[in-house]
Amino acid sequence: LCLPLVSMAVPGRTYCYKVVLLGEGCVGKTSLLLRYCENKYNEKHITTLQASFLTKRLNISGKRVNLAIWDTAGQERFHALGPIYYRDSNGAILVYDITDEDSFQKVKNWVKELRKMLGSEICLCIVGNKTDLEKNRTVSVEEAEVYAESVGAKHFHTSAKLNQGIEELFLDLCKKMLAVSQAEEAARGTDPSRVGNARRGIQIIDDEEPQPLSNAGCCPPSS
Amino acid sequence: MMAESGPGPGPGALQVAMKLASAAVQLDTENRHREAYCEYLKSIKFISQALIEDAQTKGEREMVTPEVQKMLKLAEQCLGRIKTTATKLGKAETKAAVSQAVKPSYTPTHRRVVSDGGGTNKSFLTPDVFQKLQLPETLTTKRELTPLEEASRQNQKLKAAYEARMARLNPNQSSQKTSLTLSLQRQMMENLIIAKARQAALQRKMEERRLRLQEEANRRFSTNATLTPEEEEQRNVYASILEFEQDHEWPKQWKLKLKSQPNDLILVGGLVSQILSCPEHPISQLLKKLQCRIYSKLYPIVNTHFSDQVALTEPNAGTGLYPAQSQCLLNTDVKSSLHKGSRLKSSKSACCLGSVQDHVKNNSVRLRHSSSVTSVVSVEDHNANTDAWDPKAPGSNIMKPSCSTKDFAPNQASEKNSPFEDLEQDMMKFELQPGSIADNMNLAVNSGQQILETEDMQLQDHLKNIVKDVHNSIDRLLTLCILAFEPLDSATGKDQCLASIEETFFQPIWMFLLALFRKVNHSREMALDKSLKLYRTAGPADVGVSDKLFPHKSTPSIGSYPYEIAVQELRSISKEFCPQKKLECIVRTLRLICDCAEQYCGSRQSGALIVSAIGADDLLPILSYVVLKSNLTQLVSECAALEEFIHEGYLIGEEGYCLTSMQSALLYVESLSKE
Repeated sequence: LCLPLVSMAVPGRTYCYKVVLLGEGCVGKTSLLLRYCENKYNEKHITTLQASFLTKRLNISGKRVNLAIWDTAGQERFHALGPIYYRDSNGAILVYDITDEDSFQKVKNWVKELRKMLGSEICLCIVGNKTDLEKNRTVSVEEAEVYAESVGAKHFHTSAKLNQGIEELFLDLCKKMLAVSQAEEAARGTDPSRVGNARRGIQIIDDEEPQPLSNAGCCPPSS
Repeated sequence: MMAESGPGPGPGALQVAMKLASAAVQLDTENRHREAYCEYLKSIKFISQALIEDAQTKGEREMVTPEVQKMLKLAEQCLGRIKTTATKLGKAETKAAVSQAVKPSYTPTHRRVVSDGGGTNKSFLTPDVFQKLQLPETLTTKRELTPLEEASRQNQKLKAAYEARMARLNPNQSSQKTSLTLSLQRQMMENLIIAKARQAALQRKMEERRLRLQEEANRRFSTNATLTPEEEEQRNVYASILEFEQDHEWPKQWKLKLKSQPNDLILVGGLVSQILSCPEHPISQLLKKLQCRIYSKLYPIVNTHFSDQVALTEPNAGTGLYPAQSQCLLNTDVKSSLHKGSRLKSSKSACCLGSVQDHVKNNSVRLRHSSSVTSVVSVEDHNANTDAWDPKAPGSNIMKPSCSTKDFAPNQASEKNSPFEDLEQDMMKFELQPGSIADNMNLAVNSGQQILETEDMQLQDHLKNIVKDVHNSIDRLLTLCILAFEPLDSATGKDQCLASIEETFFQPIWMFLLALFRKVNHSREMALDKSLKLYRTAGPADVGVSDKLFPHKSTPSIGSYPYEIAVQELRSISKEFCPQKKLECIVRTLRLICDCAEQYCGSRQSGALIVSAIGADDLLPILSYVVLKSNLTQLVSECAALEEFIHEGYLIGEEGYCLTSMQSALLYVESLSKE
């Protein structure tokens, strides 16, 4: 792997990203999130907010990334509250159930809304969950993938039950978000300190600085 | 000492009156008769205002409470003092310590522990009273005697000794008497000459030092010829910090300690609170000045502007718009909170006690308020109605000589300008002549809707403006702290420093800020209030909490209803006066919800492995239930204020998530009554 120049130039920086998790009530958002964290960490280490809010530290190509994952309520009656959750997000994971056509339609609505409110800066991942129920599939793979591409999102298939595809999903999203912040940095000249102020979501903090979310950081750095 | 006897002018008023009077007594003892005279008059003015307000809202029988009688007695005593002082002012001669006899009955240290006897405080303190309360220490601070003062003191002693000796001498020892008199005169003269020389030398030295430090400060700042007023102010405050450090030992000691362990958070916190609690420290003086400045801006909006509204709409009461709006505008516990703020310094435990009580009574007080709309009309100061829109008003408040402007000596020039400018900018935005807004509103009296809209816009704008001011003020204080103590200039140091500054900064002004937020968010609060009433008896299932996440009647549980500990935690939010602390309270509430949910879940599937954890799908309904149970209408405004005042860095993490969830739950609960 060749390390990009930027990370060589500014060692000791941590990229903080906010990722919002959207999807209808029973598509398995919570299990997906739990899987992602419980795999490496003891269940006791789930934050005090359980599966609603999770943080995870990653190291991608030598760059430290801090993920703050925000779960949202999928029930229709809470739909109007979406905007206050996803404002300032760097990434969004939109989950549907492959056996539930309706939940896929909901994802389409979310995508429209996100693009309208946040523009192209937010990285989108569309996720078809419950691949362990392949035989009951109602949303075709092709349709989903074509749609995802048409809106500039990446498509993934996951199974929280079998623990498939979840690591890849988050890893890929992080890489995309890193690419966006690097493009932003380049656009603003190579002064990364200014990027932090430029947009609320991306905070690039010095190594010595503790996580701003001091009491939420439960996960040791993964390498 | 005072009985909890029904509603009176409010124990707060009595307390303020006593404080004012005792400040006057203090001046009196210091032989500053002119100032004392004015202060006594002010006390009486304050008392009569409070009593007028009180009397206008009550029937004849309930009017004269023990509190009222105490205030009347106090007024009488003040009047007595005024007469005495007036005769003294006539003569040039002064007698020291003449008023000692009066003093013990109201020393400033006497403070009532519980301030809420259901008192209805209907108006806010005027900015100069607020300033007075903010500066009790500086008023009574002992300073070192100047050489001249010292000499005159010595001379007095000499004279006393001389008189004693003269009295002992026989009438026939006249030569001795003459020599004694001569030697006394010589000694006194010598003392004075020496003192004068010392004083001159000292002044020269101080002036030299001041120049040297000013130069040092100039070097510290960029040598740019064009400094903004704020940079200028910063430089001047920095120079006075240097001066302060020459005179005091403790900053040097802190610097040494900090150097050895710059990342010790407790140390940083300790340092900042020492700086801010030392009334002579320039940063602490700036803090108070900035607080007063913000209060002066808030005051006309949360107080007088409001009474304007009521006065204007009274002929129009039929529309029903204003009376409804005015109901909860003037938050009842605002005044007592100020006392809490100041009382906190002397006794923390007392503060907590007081607020618990306030808190419990919060609702009943609010309700009582809404039942008598007219009671909210404030007669604070009718001239102030126009003053509020006069760009000169806040400035003139600050500049009144009685407001001990000498305490803010370093920057009077910039002090004069900025409040005006800000207000004028506001006026420009509405394309109205400054000072004509009041007239404009009179013209608009017949179109309630129009007023509503303009006022809404104006309020929003004032809110933005004040929020900006608050941020600015905190930034300035932070910058100065770091300038003064360089080791603080690390990420952790800054964080801790900021936290300590915010705590001190918000303490006395939070309730006033909240009052403004409550005005701006009035319609949301009304919606929430409606839902709270509508769903008063609702259970968790009624707001969609999943069946497995609350105990049913068959299962034993903690508390009298589900999630009671979380509800209690949330209710304690009104006890805090600093955004950071309030946010922590919300975080604790959400954590408790998760704990409870886990317990309820576990107790039902005993033995079975718990595979699910609470996600947002479950959290939000529970949180909505907790909001309903908390029965706190002001939660809407508290959260809106937190959004504005919490440092952005926190809003991406757990704290941010909790605040967002709380906002969502509130919006959801509000929407329940709109359906």
